[in-house]
Amino acid sequence: MQSFLSYLNSKLTPGEAGNFAWATIYILLIFTGISVAVIAMNWLERKILAHMQVRLGPMRVGPHGLLQPIADALKLLIKEDIMPAEADRVVFWLAPVIVVITAFTVFIVVPFGPTHAVTDMNIGVLFMLGVSSLGVLGIIMAGWASNSHYPLMGALRSSSQMVSYEIAMGLAVVSAILMTTLTPDGVGTLSMIKIVQAQDQQQTWFLFRMFPFGFLAFFIFAVAMVAETNRAPFDLPEAESELVAGFHTEYSGFRWSLFFLAEYAAMLAVSAIAVTLWLGGWMRPFPHWLAGDGWDAFFSFFPAATFFLLALIAFFGTVRMPKHPAFRIQKAGLGAFALVLGGIGIVLLIPAVKDRIQDIYWFVAKVSVFQYAYIWYRGTFPRYRFDQLMKLGWKVMIPMGVAVLIVMAAAPAFNFVW
Amino acid sequence: MTVKEITRKVLLLDLLKGLAVTFRNQNPKEIYTEQYPLQRPRVAERYRGAPRLGVNPDTNETLCISCDLCALACPEHLIVVTSERNPATRRKELTTFTYDLSRCMFCGLCEDACPTDCLELTQDFELASYSREGMIWDRQTLERGPQPTKYER
Repeated sequence: MQSFLSYLNSKLTPGEAGNFAWATIYILLIFTGISVAVIAMNWLERKILAHMQVRLGPMRVGPHGLLQPIADALKLLIKEDIMPAEADRVVFWLAPVIVVITAFTVFIVVPFGPTHAVTDMNIGVLFMLGVSSLGVLGIIMAGWASNSHYPLMGALRSSSQMVSYEIAMGLAVVSAILMTTLTPDGVGTLSMIKIVQAQDQQQTWFLFRMFPFGFLAFFIFAVAMVAETNRAPFDLPEAESELVAGFHTEYSGFRWSLFFLAEYAAMLAVSAIAVTLWLGGWMRPFPHWLAGDGWDAFFSFFPAATFFLLALIAFFGTVRMPKHPAFRIQKAGLGAFALVLGGIGIVLLIPAVKDRIQDIYWFVAKVSVFQYAYIWYRGTFPRYRFDQLMKLGWKVMIPMGVAVLIVMAAAPAFNFVW
Repeated sequence: MTVKEITRKVLLLDLLKGLAVTFRNQNPKEIYTEQYPLQRPRVAERYRGAPRLGVNPDTNETLCISCDLCALACPEHLIVVTSERNPATRRKELTTFTYDLSRCMFCGLCEDACPTDCLELTQDFELASYSREGMIWDRQTLERGPQPTKYER
């Protein structure tokens, strides 16, 4: 009990402090947080895509379809879980498990704040990249075990795509890690938390460091990360028009929802890497340019303000609802939702909470920008042809990554750093 | 390739243009979808929909004089009118009137032929039925108009 409470005053992550109880709490919090984020992403994706296509999107289940993801999740749980007769039963069962486990394990090292990570590994980035690329194994297993043509094709496409973009991604990550050595002591780091601290020391995001090379590395990563997570415009493994649903064609019900969960968790994970490496992780905007207590206080109101804004939008939603008796329950529900959001906003104004929530808020805000971009790309770009995808990966991204890496490595050696 | 084309390609201007288009389209004002059962579509003024037999609003008597002109005008012969001669007034009185909607092409010739403006094609468009028999409307249905299920609570 004593160690449980004394942890709150230590400036360590639970893993470093060796505090098992707090580590469990962090893991549970992150797990629920990601699940909620996936639910929210599901709704937002359908809504935003619909609006981009001048449609309404889900409107019927709950006000503005807010309960649609929950209804879908229930449907998937109740649905019959079909396993093809000719399938390899063990591998078929194992594949979604592996995909989900790899997608969630990655979050152990994601730094939501200087102390808000389950643990801080000294090989954090390697761990994240390594574990997240294990997900390919699950996808190949799913495609192979289904014993059907479309899943096999999808799995092969997926594996070749992920393997080739992994190289470009790795090169981009290495050039970001090289930038961590630009501190006065010249010691680099692979730890996710120390990478952000290095950006804090150098008083800039790595995105703007050695411009435009930091930006180019980020760009390569941003493209490779879309390809890694099999999202549009690189969603060839699950191209509906050609492969039905790719590697998860034969999956239904709960197993399919595990693949869905893993896909969105992987999107969050790679966005978290991008934010940590290039966008200053948990740091608030302009921590050095707009330094001082006044600015600190100003930026500390952002989390609460965000929730108040969301509450206001929900409140406007209730006002603008059609005056029709059929909408009475929906109206009450949306009003209650607005109240809950406002309540969270008020809780975030409590000083103790306000100080602790800061870094988490900025990290999540940066990640959500990436999530929006994912949806935006999906609403805009048509799917690549497979040979074009490979051409882009091998002939553009990898040479560019090598060039950026060479510049990053050579320039500091000649004391030529900007 | 000219310099202009190369810059377009390197700076991904076409992709950014596409992104701008989808971003602008998100404006909820652009949404064209109609929430049908609650929001009724506006039917064109001269739309020809469900047939209806008019009744005198004061006496609730049918306006039909059983002249059979609509049945003669109908190219599909889907209207059947039966009548009885009233011995007292020496006038034909309508007994049954069937209208087979499943074969109707809504040409409106019956409407034009009617001398009393009794038969008309209204703007009602909800004609779905669970059975083929349901598409054959008798006199009562024609006078009352179609009564689709109201999806309200």
